Amino acid sequence: QFERVGADVTMKCGSMDWDAAVTWTVNGTDIDESHLNGSYLILKNVGLSQSGQYSCYEGSSWHLKYQTYLRVGTPPKEPVLMCRSNNYPKGFYCSWHLPTPTYIPNTFNISVIHGTKDMVCEKDAVPKNRCHIRYLQLFSTVKYKVTLTVTNALGKNFTTLTFDEFAIVKPDPPESVVAKPVPNNPRRLEVSWQNPSSWPDPESFPLKFFLRYRPLILDQWQHVELSDGTSHTITDAYAGKEYIIQVAAKDNDIGTWSDWSVAVHATPWTEEPKHLTTEAQITETTSASTSSFMAPPTTKICDKGAMVGSGAVAVCWTAGLVVAAYSVLFI
Amino acid sequence: DSWGIFTFLCAALCNLPALPALNCSEELGAGQSIQQTYDLTRYLEHQLRTLAGTYLNYLGPPFNEPDFNPPRLARAERVPSATVDLDLWRGLTDNARLAANYRAYSRLLCYLRVLDGQVGTAELRHRLAHFCASLQGLVLSIGGVMSSLGYPLPAGPAAPPAPPGAPAAPNDFLKKMDDFWLLKELQTWLWRSAKDFNRLKKKVPPAVVTLRLEARGF
Repeated sequence: QFERVGADVTMKCGSMDWDAAVTWTVNGTDIDESHLNGSYLILKNVGLSQSGQYSCYEGSSWHLKYQTYLRVGTPPKEPVLMCRSNNYPKGFYCSWHLPTPTYIPNTFNISVIHGTKDMVCEKDAVPKNRCHIRYLQLFSTVKYKVTLTVTNALGKNFTTLTFDEFAIVKPDPPESVVAKPVPNNPRRLEVSWQNPSSWPDPESFPLKFFLRYRPLILDQWQHVELSDGTSHTITDAYAGKEYIIQVAAKDNDIGTWSDWSVAVHATPWTEEPKHLTTEAQITETTSASTSSFMAPPTTKICDKGAMVGSGAVAVCWTAGLVVAAYSVLFI
Repeated sequence: DSWGIFTFLCAALCNLPALPALNCSEELGAGQSIQQTYDLTRYLEHQLRTLAGTYLNYLGPPFNEPDFNPPRLARAERVPSATVDLDLWRGLTDNARLAANYRAYSRLLCYLRVLDGQVGTAELRHRLAHFCASLQGLVLSIGGVMSSLGYPLPAGPAAPPAPPGAPAAPNDFLKKMDDFWLLKELQTWLWRSAKDFNRLKKKVPPAVVTLRLEARGF
C-alpha cells in the first residue's frame, strides 16, 4: 500500500465491524488506542518513518485479520535528463535521475524519436539509469527528441530533450596525462596525453585540445589551445615551482569541450644545489690547489657573464658565494 | 561590388574544365588544396551562422525559434541531403566523396541564387551575394582538388541556374519552409564537409603529387 507524505490514512481491519475489538501493530509493536477510531486505524499526516508492516488482530483470539505493508513516499518530480555523444560517430547515451527521492519504487520509460522514426534506446545494465543508441545515419538535419517518463504508485512525470546530432557531442577527458621536467631547462615542462579511449575514430574525427596550467601557489590559470598533436612543452614555467596541469578535448569542428582531465603535478628541472658543498670547499681550497675548486654551474638567471668582472654585483646569493670563493682564492 | 565578383566567378566557373592543364594546382599539392578546402568550409560555416540568423529573422516566427523542429515534407527532398548511412560514408572512395560534395554545393548554390533574387531587404541581398561568392569559391576549390587528383568533374549545373525542377511553392508558408530546409541542408553539408575533408587529408599522401610531377618530367 502506497501513500503520500502528509496524507491522512485510514486502515480498516479487513471485514471486521467498526465496533469490533482489535489490536493494531506496526512492525510487531502495539499501536496505542488513541490512534484508533473504533476498529479503524487512523494515521494523520503520515511521515516517512511511518512506513512499515501494519497488522490487525482480533481482540481476544489474536487472529490475524488484516495485514498491509505501508510505504510512504511522494509522486515523482520532473526528472533530470541528459544526453551526450562521447563516442561520435557511433551513437549517444542518455542518463537520468530524479532531483529528489520518492522513497518508493519508480519505473522509467524512455522514448527516442528521430523525425518520424521511433528508435530503441538500449538500457545499460550498469549504471541502471542509462541507455544508449547507435546512429544509423550520420549528418542528419532532423532533430532527435528524447522523452523520459517516470512513474510510481503515486503519480507520474516526464521531461523532453530535443537536439541536433552535432549539438550533444562531448568527448571524455584525455587519458594518461603525463607531465615531466625537461633536463637542463628550468622553465620547461613536457606534457603528453592520449585520446580518450571512448572516442572510436580519431583519424576521421580528430580532436583538438585545451591545456591549462598554473603553479600551485597562484590562482590564475594559463591556457593553450592545440589543434593537433597529443603533447606540448610549456616554456614559461616559474623555476622551481610545482605546477598543476590539466587537459580537455573537443571534436575539431562540433560539440562542446570535455571535462578537465585528472590533474597532474610536476616541477620544472632545477640544478643540483651545489652551494652546500661550495662552503665546505672554501676552507679546503685555501690550502689546496685551485684546480680542486669547482664553480657551481650557473642558472639562466645568474648569468656567468655577470660574475666575470671582480667588481660585478652579485645578482643572487649563489653568485655571491662564487665571488666570495674567488676572492678568497685570489687574496 | 558583389555583381563584379559574380561575373568574375561566373567566368572562372566557365573555365573550370581547363584547370587540369594549369600547373599551379598541381604544384600546390593535393594535400595543401584539401587543407584549403577544409578551411573554406569552416569559414563558410561561420558565415552561414550570421546569414541564417538574419534570414530566419526575416522569415519571422516560427522559423526563427530555436526549438522549431518541423517534419520533413516530401517536396523538400529536392535539396541534396548530407545525411548518409554511417558505413556507406566510411566506405566512400575519395572520388565519390569529393564528387558528392561538388554536386551538393553546385546545386545548393543554384538554389541560393534563386533566393537571392527574391529577398526583400538590401542587407539580406548583400549578405546572400557575399555568401554565394564564397560558396562559388568552395565549389571551385573542390573542383581543383578533384582535378589535381585526376578525377573527372561531375557533370553539374555549371549552366546558369534554372529554376528548381518542382513547381514553385503553392503558398507563402510553404515557400518559407523550403527556404528553412535549404539553410538547414547547407549547414549540415558544411559540417559534413569538414569531416569529409578531414578523412581526405589523412588518406591522400603527398607522395601522390610528387609521382605526378615526376611523370611530367619524363
